[in-house]
Amino acid sequence: MQCTDLGPQMLEYLAGTLPDDRLAEIRAHLAECAACRDEVDASAEIWHELGATPAPRPESQRMRARFDAALQGYLDGQAESRVLTAVRRPAWQWQPWVQFAGAAALLVVGIGLGRYAPGSTPQPNPDIALLREELRETRQMVTLSLLQQQSASERLKGVTTSGQLDQPGTEVVTALLDTLRRDPNVNVRLATVDALRRFGSREVVRKSVVDALPEQESPLVQIAMVDFILETAGPEAKAVLQRLAEDIMLNQAVRARAARGLQQVGL
Amino acid sequence: MRAVREGDLTRMGVLFERHHRPLFDFLYRMTGDRGAAEDLVQDVFVRMLRYRSTYRDEGRFETWMFRIARNVRADHFRKHSGATYVPEDDMDWASDAPGPAHLLERARDMARLKRALETLRDDRRELIVMVRYQGMTHEQVGAVLGVDGGTVKVRFHRALKELRDAFARVPEGE
Repeated sequence: MQCTDLGPQMLEYLAGTLPDDRLAEIRAHLAECAACRDEVDASAEIWHELGATPAPRPESQRMRARFDAALQGYLDGQAESRVLTAVRRPAWQWQPWVQFAGAAALLVVGIGLGRYAPGSTPQPNPDIALLREELRETRQMVTLSLLQQQSASERLKGVTTSGQLDQPGTEVVTALLDTLRRDPNVNVRLATVDALRRFGSREVVRKSVVDALPEQESPLVQIAMVDFILETAGPEAKAVLQRLAEDIMLNQAVRARAARGLQQVGL
Repeated sequence: MRAVREGDLTRMGVLFERHHRPLFDFLYRMTGDRGAAEDLVQDVFVRMLRYRSTYRDEGRFETWMFRIARNVRADHFRKHSGATYVPEDDMDWASDAPGPAHLLERARDMARLKRALETLRDDRRELIVMVRYQGMTHEQVGAVLGVDGGTVKVRFHRALKELRDAFARVPEGE
């Protein structure tokens, strides 16, 4: 056996998983080679030090509660999808997306015809501005319509669509805040917290999220809301996080997140 | 996991009970942040749920689980770009130290070892954590990393050497 053969076998040597014949070979080599003996001793020492470090203890109960909430939300979403699949109607009757796509296609055709029709000029046309405005309103209407759907997956689409609106009106923001407060599905509420982040600079949005937090039953959503408060970092964040960290009515995990948030931002 | 893949999602609770501790151990030792480790454990189980159809019978469940855990951790570091291993404190490593001087010294050694581990590159630390704390064999680690067992043995030896050097560099008073 050569000295260079030792390194690749170190893991098994330290773990005690070497077959007897290879172990005997190594021992015979170590009896003769002081450098390899030192190498093995030093490695064994750090190996034992590593083994002596205690395992970190997780907050199992709290983690299980969080996971159960997430699982329940997933199961609810699945159940609603199945109901939706069972009720088959022509797509244009129940899919606002189809209606929206139809409206958009007609609009594009209209713009094209108007621009290239004989006698038309490339000058800015006030009709186009009007059509654009109508398209924006249509999109907004579709978003609001999706948020009202019975199916959780459709409402999720509505929340996602809100993020694609150029200049969402107050109605959309209000609908999102309402969804956050009242939607029965955890996943929809979680997505809503994300969607509201782009409006985090508005005081009224931050205040509504803070007010809605104690009403939430799901610690998962509450934690997402604490993150929202942290990220939007309004002037009221410190007081709010302090209050949440001390609120004994809140789930322990939520309080811990708020407390950590206070340290995180160095408030 | 097979039952979960076939649609019995309520069995996820059993998987959680069985595997959340080793996952937490791995993610805590890799992030140094208890809160982040708890969040990442949740993410791992949510991804297992979402991608359950990708689980194959022929491999070990733990291999599949740790692959997901590595991806979740990588995403975490990407999302918090610039974030590195941030140790919270030494309490989890040295909290069992009672008063006598030799035990206090032992606690200091533990803290030094933790500092030394922090200085290692992520892939080196990951290897040591998987072998020493998860008790994985070189073949199992290889399956998670997508390399052969021989490569793992060589890399482990290198990582252990680096850890020894780093340990020697940490001042004893720390």
